[in-house]
Amino acid sequence: MKQKILLLFFIIPFAVAAQYDLSGFIQDTNGYVVLGTQIKLSGGSLSRTKTVNGSGKYEFKDLPSGTFNLEITSGDYIEFDQVVITDVDVRHDIQLKNHKDYELEEVALRGESAKSKMEKKGFALNVIKTDEAAQRNIQTNELLNTSVGVKIRQNGGLGSNVEYSLNGLSGSAVRIFIDGIPISTFGSSYNLNSIPPSMIERIEVYKGVVPGYLSDDALGGAINIVLNQATNTNFNASVSYGSFNTLQASVNGLYRFDGSGFTVKASGFHNYSDNDYKVSGRSVVITGLGGVQTPITARRFNDAYRSTGGLVQVGFTDVKWADQFFVGFNGSEDYNEVQHGAFMTTRPYKGRFYESDASLANLIYQKEDLFIKGFDVNVNGYYGKRNRQLSDTVAQAYSWNGEPAVDFRGNEYEYTWGSQQEGGPTLAKIERNVTSVRTGLAYAFNKNHKVLANHVFSSIDRQDSDALRSVLENTFVGTRDLRKNIFALTYEFSAFDNRLQASLFGKYYQQKTINVDPKIETDAAGNNQLVDEVISSNKTYNGYGFALSYAVLPNITLLASAEKAVRLPNETEIFGNDGDNVVANYSINPEQSKNYNLGFRLGTFNLNKNQFGVSANLFTRNIKDRIGLPIETSLNVDEELIVYVNQGSGNSKGFDAQFNYSYDNNFGVNFNISKFDLKIENRGVEIDVPNTPFLTMNGNLRYSFKDLIQEKSRLNLFYTLYYTGEFSYLVPQGSNTVGDDFFKVPEQLAQDIGVSYAFPGNNFVMSFDVKNIFDKPVYDNLSVQKPGRAFYLKLNYSINKF
Amino acid sequence: MKRIFLNWKAFTLITLTAGLFTACDTDDAVKEIENGTDSRWITVAAARMGENPGDGNGGTLIYSVSAEDAKDPSISIEPFDNGFIVPSNRTARLQSSQDGNTIFNISYAGDTGGNYTKYTVNGGQNFAQTGSAVSIEPYVGSAPRWIKLFDGDQTGAAVYVSTENEISDNDTPDDATDDFYLRTEAKMGIVTLDLENSLIKEFQEHSISLSDELESQGYYIGRIDMPTLNAAGDKLYIGARLSKVDPTTGERDRNAEMLESRSIVLDYPSLLNPTVIISEVGTGNTNGYRSINAFEYNGSVYQANQSDPQGSHILKIGADNKYDDSYVFNLDDALGIEGAYILAWRPAANGKAVVAYRHDGSAEGVAGAQGFFALVDLNAKTAQKINDIPYDPDFYLFQYQGFVVDGNDIYVTQAPVGENGNIYVVDTETGEVTKGAELVNVEGSHFIGVF
Repeated sequence: MKQKILLLFFIIPFAVAAQYDLSGFIQDTNGYVVLGTQIKLSGGSLSRTKTVNGSGKYEFKDLPSGTFNLEITSGDYIEFDQVVITDVDVRHDIQLKNHKDYELEEVALRGESAKSKMEKKGFALNVIKTDEAAQRNIQTNELLNTSVGVKIRQNGGLGSNVEYSLNGLSGSAVRIFIDGIPISTFGSSYNLNSIPPSMIERIEVYKGVVPGYLSDDALGGAINIVLNQATNTNFNASVSYGSFNTLQASVNGLYRFDGSGFTVKASGFHNYSDNDYKVSGRSVVITGLGGVQTPITARRFNDAYRSTGGLVQVGFTDVKWADQFFVGFNGSEDYNEVQHGAFMTTRPYKGRFYESDASLANLIYQKEDLFIKGFDVNVNGYYGKRNRQLSDTVAQAYSWNGEPAVDFRGNEYEYTWGSQQEGGPTLAKIERNVTSVRTGLAYAFNKNHKVLANHVFSSIDRQDSDALRSVLENTFVGTRDLRKNIFALTYEFSAFDNRLQASLFGKYYQQKTINVDPKIETDAAGNNQLVDEVISSNKTYNGYGFALSYAVLPNITLLASAEKAVRLPNETEIFGNDGDNVVANYSINPEQSKNYNLGFRLGTFNLNKNQFGVSANLFTRNIKDRIGLPIETSLNVDEELIVYVNQGSGNSKGFDAQFNYSYDNNFGVNFNISKFDLKIENRGVEIDVPNTPFLTMNGNLRYSFKDLIQEKSRLNLFYTLYYTGEFSYLVPQGSNTVGDDFFKVPEQLAQDIGVSYAFPGNNFVMSFDVKNIFDKPVYDNLSVQKPGRAFYLKLNYSINKF
Repeated sequence: MKRIFLNWKAFTLITLTAGLFTACDTDDAVKEIENGTDSRWITVAAARMGENPGDGNGGTLIYSVSAEDAKDPSISIEPFDNGFIVPSNRTARLQSSQDGNTIFNISYAGDTGGNYTKYTVNGGQNFAQTGSAVSIEPYVGSAPRWIKLFDGDQTGAAVYVSTENEISDNDTPDDATDDFYLRTEAKMGIVTLDLENSLIKEFQEHSISLSDELESQGYYIGRIDMPTLNAAGDKLYIGARLSKVDPTTGERDRNAEMLESRSIVLDYPSLLNPTVIISEVGTGNTNGYRSINAFEYNGSVYQANQSDPQGSHILKIGADNKYDDSYVFNLDDALGIEGAYILAWRPAANGKAVVAYRHDGSAEGVAGAQGFFALVDLNAKTAQKINDIPYDPDFYLFQYQGFVVDGNDIYVTQAPVGENGNIYVVDTETGEVTKGAELVNVEGSHFIGVF
């Protein structure tokens, strides 16, 4: 990480009140445009951000006279600049300096990138920048997986089901947001599988302790996808094509009418993959006469994925009454074939698929210093519908070679259950009306004290139906509605020249779940009537926490954070589930966890052209009232007596560590490691949680050449390594048992290489990536093989002047 | 310097001692295998705790000793430390050959659910897989309800049932108010497996119906299990459980009245011509749980029932392939208890059987109701609780699977959840109980029988 500091004074000796423009070019010492550079202008009540693209020019229009600070950031680099505007348009060119040129100044003044600033607030936080990934053939999930303490477990290729784990906690313990809105609002067509990195400004990963503004019942942490925030005119488009017929395209554009501030913003994506990668293993067989099995290497044949979506917003940016005001529409759809169930078995599926779509209206309002200085407001709301349809109506059995399977007599056959997955043919459809509104108010009393109030409301009304079932049956299917209100109050303060930063927060959770079950009732006249039996459950809970950081020395920071976090019981846990013979438990309590993080950040240290930094975090998560199902006994095996209960405790303990090194801007190394122990306790017996990858490491190398092929071009070489330690699907066994191998997910080491080439002028960037170069079998889950070696080529085009 | 020398001496001593112990272990193993040639193997099955004490979801482990060792209380058996983990994601449903030399397994759930494997028992943790791979998953799914038939270890049979409500739209497809429920279609699949050659033998599907009256009330056969071959070898009996939907809504009716016990009868080996037979004696289910629920004895098949409001009965299906309602054997009456529930059982060739049961008076232990063993006489229709086996509130038998019949002797395992126990050998003729080898347990885990 580098911090570049520069202080310049431009004094232009005129003084008449009017509106002026500020513009100029930003280049590095060699005269190159630095792609993705952001410039933030602030002063008085103004705060605007522009991204510099292509030509290297930036422009701020309609500024009053005054003194303005400029913060220029590019990746991890930062420079500060100051401009005084008096009476005339100002042209101010900025030449970024090479690191060695300003070592002396650095002593006098330090600045930090937004990433570094956020990461030093005290939370156990990763901020993942997307600039580089956006130009390469890297999916958002892959990017997230290389971040320290984060483990992604995916059941196949692009589009397949993903589970996120933060420091050992996973599933519903991890909440995911897009711009602070819970991802359940958007559905599976608009998620981390479909949104490309180029639409994303950054990803924030809060481990264990989640700040007030992201409030949800996140027991183990939260992942927040922050979509592009820049408000200057720009356009970029990219298309990537590669193995398994994988096509990924994205377009992002913004046009701002500088006079009025009227802004049109649009982005879109399209992803497609056949995911027909090769698999083999103990269940990949074809079956002949008598059921005799022959192992084969097969290509997956029912695993295609397609997603398309976009966002259009119109409104005003950087005007007096709003920093951002947009109304917009967000539409997306996807199609996702399912090759097999949770495991790869001898029975691959054909013709089972999901289709989802979402149509949401959107409103954004953001203003800093509204009415009075220091008072900030932001509102972000979505309202709309989302639907999901599952289709599984093919009864014909298929074999791993993609052909109809034959039974023991040699004849093609159909499954007894009439569908691919056991359970019978289905066209199950879930329609949901969704609303989610996030509101934040902040008031800074002065530089050192700030109070923030946040509220998130989310509501999901759900209706289930199945076209294969009779109207009668569909009529009596119950509906489950969910309303959540979460309030958070945060107090932030800093002291000792910002060396101490602290944030204290309290959260109030309120969740109402409503179960509507249609019933027949006989009225007084003896007529049968359809009535809705409505049962609702209202639960409220509190949580609180803090984050604290203290800079012992400017490049030695200690961080500590803690939270009493909760996860509210979901509708199945409260109301039960007819299909699984689980009945309601209205008195169930939320899962609770006391989460602690203690860490440090060292760096960045500079030694000649060498720069390095180290950070580490120790954590514990102490869960109680875990929700689960009790064991099946002779008392409940026939009668429907099973209820979800709070049945034990658990804890996860471990550490994360990260190391960065770079040399002269050309060479960079990142390495991180994460290790934890996860145990649960039920009825006094403690066990190590099985099926959990507890040791992960990631490393990457980058080397840049300038002017290698053409003048003013840049060539980057990349290497990435992913390591996951061996783990078992079963709980740990005795010292001398045999047969354990059957349940083991072996140690894995996958390596990717890539090259990207930025043509002179920086409008075009071409990238080529090879994933899993040694074609190793890779598994996130027992025996579910992920893609082998794959090649992808990507073209990016960007301009910021039309 | 001297100190280091002493430590070195101590180290050498420990190493030598450890070496001697290791050598002894090896000798024992050799001895066991030699013993195996003149007496049968007793394979102990243990179920490790998954997430909850007693759930048995953390792996099924097996370990074999000679019958002599199994009867020897000075021997300790530690399957959790030294066993072979049977490849099955959830508790395996094991079967053994009558001579104890082969273990048959069909994997339950997971990526290999439905896969049939067999192992030659070589003593200790040494189980050699034999035969080729075959899967019954395409016919009966990945969580198959299978059982070995008593035909000289030649055949296994597994069943599956899928159900679908049939609703009439009254010729008005858009109007729900005049729709009415007709019946629930229950479609069964049955597959037979050649255990010797690892081949699928036969597979058939049938629609199973009840009387029109019961069907219009919403009753249907919702679960089937435990195929049993009759004495003539020409019919299979399959245990059944009735379920019910509410005809007005098509939803599951949770408060349905228990009806007379039923079984499905099929021609064997063709698996054709299914009929349903009805008992006038028992009420409730005949599909058992994880252990064989019906056995042929003296020309008839004796079948236990479960969830009987009068307490479990042992029902008799005569040589005419119909329930023999003159045979009334109620465990509540025989034992003088209320709410008897047969969890598993096994007769010897003399018509005397060991029954694992719980009743209303069972203590509520860590993993459900406390279990007991009783010695019953199928001819005399008498039963006696076996009091020479110790019972603990945490001793439960719901997942119990395995009994070894060796002449008149029946072997069982006893150990409360998380505590050590023993093998017990019941002489069914005299009622004498011999305490056998110690079973070393681990936290939250239990034993599910011997094979």
